Amino acid sequence: MSSFETGLWSFPVLLLLIFLRMPIGLAMFAVGFGGLYFVTGGTTVALAKLKSETYTTFSSYSLSIIPMFLLMGQFATLGGMSQALFRAAESWLGHRKGGVAMAAVGACAGFGAICGSSLATAATMSQVALPELRRYGYSGGFSTATLAAGGTLGILIPPSVILVIYAILTEQNIAKLFLAAFIPGILAAIGYMITISIYVRLNPGSAGVREPMPMAERWRALIDVWPVMLVFLSVVGGIYLGWFTPTEGAAVGAFGTGLIALVNGGLKGRDWLESFYATARSTAMIFFIVLGAAFYNGFLALTQVPQELSRWVVEQGFSPWTVLVMILVLYLVFGCLMDSLSMILLTIPIFFPIVSALDFGMGPEEFAIWFGIIVLIVVEVGLITPPVGMNLFVINSMDRETPIARTYGAVMYFVASDIVRVALLVLFPGITLILLRLFY
Amino acid sequence: MFLITLCKSASRLMAMLGGIVLTALILLTCVSVLGRSGNTIFHMAWVEALAPGLAKSILDAGLGPVPGDFELVEAGMAFTIFAFLPLCQVSGAHASVDIFTASLSDRANRLLIAIWDVLFAVVLIVIAWKLYDGMTGKMRYNETTFMLQFPVWWAYAVSLAAAVVAAVVGVAVAVIRLQELVQGRVLLAVGGAEH
Repeated sequence: MSSFETGLWSFPVLLLLIFLRMPIGLAMFAVGFGGLYFVTGGTTVALAKLKSETYTTFSSYSLSIIPMFLLMGQFATLGGMSQALFRAAESWLGHRKGGVAMAAVGACAGFGAICGSSLATAATMSQVALPELRRYGYSGGFSTATLAAGGTLGILIPPSVILVIYAILTEQNIAKLFLAAFIPGILAAIGYMITISIYVRLNPGSAGVREPMPMAERWRALIDVWPVMLVFLSVVGGIYLGWFTPTEGAAVGAFGTGLIALVNGGLKGRDWLESFYATARSTAMIFFIVLGAAFYNGFLALTQVPQELSRWVVEQGFSPWTVLVMILVLYLVFGCLMDSLSMILLTIPIFFPIVSALDFGMGPEEFAIWFGIIVLIVVEVGLITPPVGMNLFVINSMDRETPIARTYGAVMYFVASDIVRVALLVLFPGITLILLRLFY
Repeated sequence: MFLITLCKSASRLMAMLGGIVLTALILLTCVSVLGRSGNTIFHMAWVEALAPGLAKSILDAGLGPVPGDFELVEAGMAFTIFAFLPLCQVSGAHASVDIFTASLSDRANRLLIAIWDVLFAVVLIVIAWKLYDGMTGKMRYNETTFMLQFPVWWAYAVSLAAAVVAAVVGVAVAVIRLQELVQGRVLLAVGGAEH
């Protein structure tokens, strides 16, 4: 078997192992190791690679942003910031038709600004918002669907762990990617709010009404979220303006959030430990996948498969847009099966050379950033697509009275809103790139 | 069971150490950012014009970024990640796809988990072993970091300590999984639910 064939075969083997419940990072590591064994005719190369590869991956300065952001998310969760955000959003939006649900989306967007993970955002906001939604007569499926969708804002609105990984894989500037994600993230929040108002008009029984809050109380609730605003502005603003590197921004953010949590009394002895444990679990999980992917991609690059595949696609003379749509559909399907991070690490090294070789009428950097944002969104849609979207399970497990089928029914409205947004962003790259063009 | 308790305590201890180092790195980075900003501010023309003596004495006192902060973050982060691995192993928190195996029997699932955790243990042992080789290499060539000039093998050594714990915990988890397979019951929950 030639090394090229080995490379091609590695893909179905890898998928089979993953579908057999092999941890994804381990599967990529093992297939990469086995592949190197076949291609180089022994274990020498693979073992020699390991001497420094693990250490270099774990000590990467760019990747060190990840544990810092994860710890920051933990502090934000414990520090009562989710309550303050929801209360502020609810006091301004709660009296509208479907207003409490809109408030949940708004609070998710706010929480997404200090948390880089989708599941964490969905889970944290649910604890606060689900009881309120049910109290004001919002139907079970509608409430859970809203929160599952709102959770995806956690990853879209910077900081975002997945964008960090994408930036490293495609050698792009993290700050620019964060900036580009901003408008699509806001659009997502607005799109979800429109979806909510359509949903409550089509299903009038699904939402109750709530008295408007007096103006004085609204302002007071808004003032309560200033710490969150301050952290977000200093982190994101500092990164955009070049005051500090993204890693430094993450450190400042983690420090600020930790301080707020400490002042709010949210962090007691036991909580520190719990936030370390939760950070440890997610961090180790992510880094092991990154390590496995580095190993697998190293092997794949040696077999020339990505280059050959990209050459083949160009030779076939497909229209770039056809290729793009095919890739996005593939992401949508796989996004339902796999977590977004694994999927990005698994596919970007193969797809990115293919799409980069095609002409979309953009410079290489603009293209890379635009493609990254769209892929991120499509992958996140997978998180809320029935029957296997992960956010749906997380939220549904928090509301035992609601059968998951109800959540499935309501979440399709949000999926539709996502698809409309993806179509808009694909058709008008300017939406994603405008801030970038203004700032740089 | 003794083995499980030991595994959990060891991995929690490592996660705590990792968390402390991570916190220290965060503080270090913040101090460095502050120092650098202060340095920039006191170098601004109008500040120097307004209070020349003050600006000079503060700058002379060494206000600026922490030297070699990059290197410290990198070295500390390597230890942190290695120290986080055991807890992930014990809590079965590694990402996997379980929809296709959900329809299989409990026994079949237990068999798969046992196989993968045995393989995981092997991989963790190989990682620790090769990290040791990497460390001896750095010792032999006396490689030092660029700014602070501290030997690179120091960072390898602390990482190795954590990697060894990860490998030992990995083996213990594999043994527990095999016991689960034999006894046909869950001893150590999968999926981060270890409270």
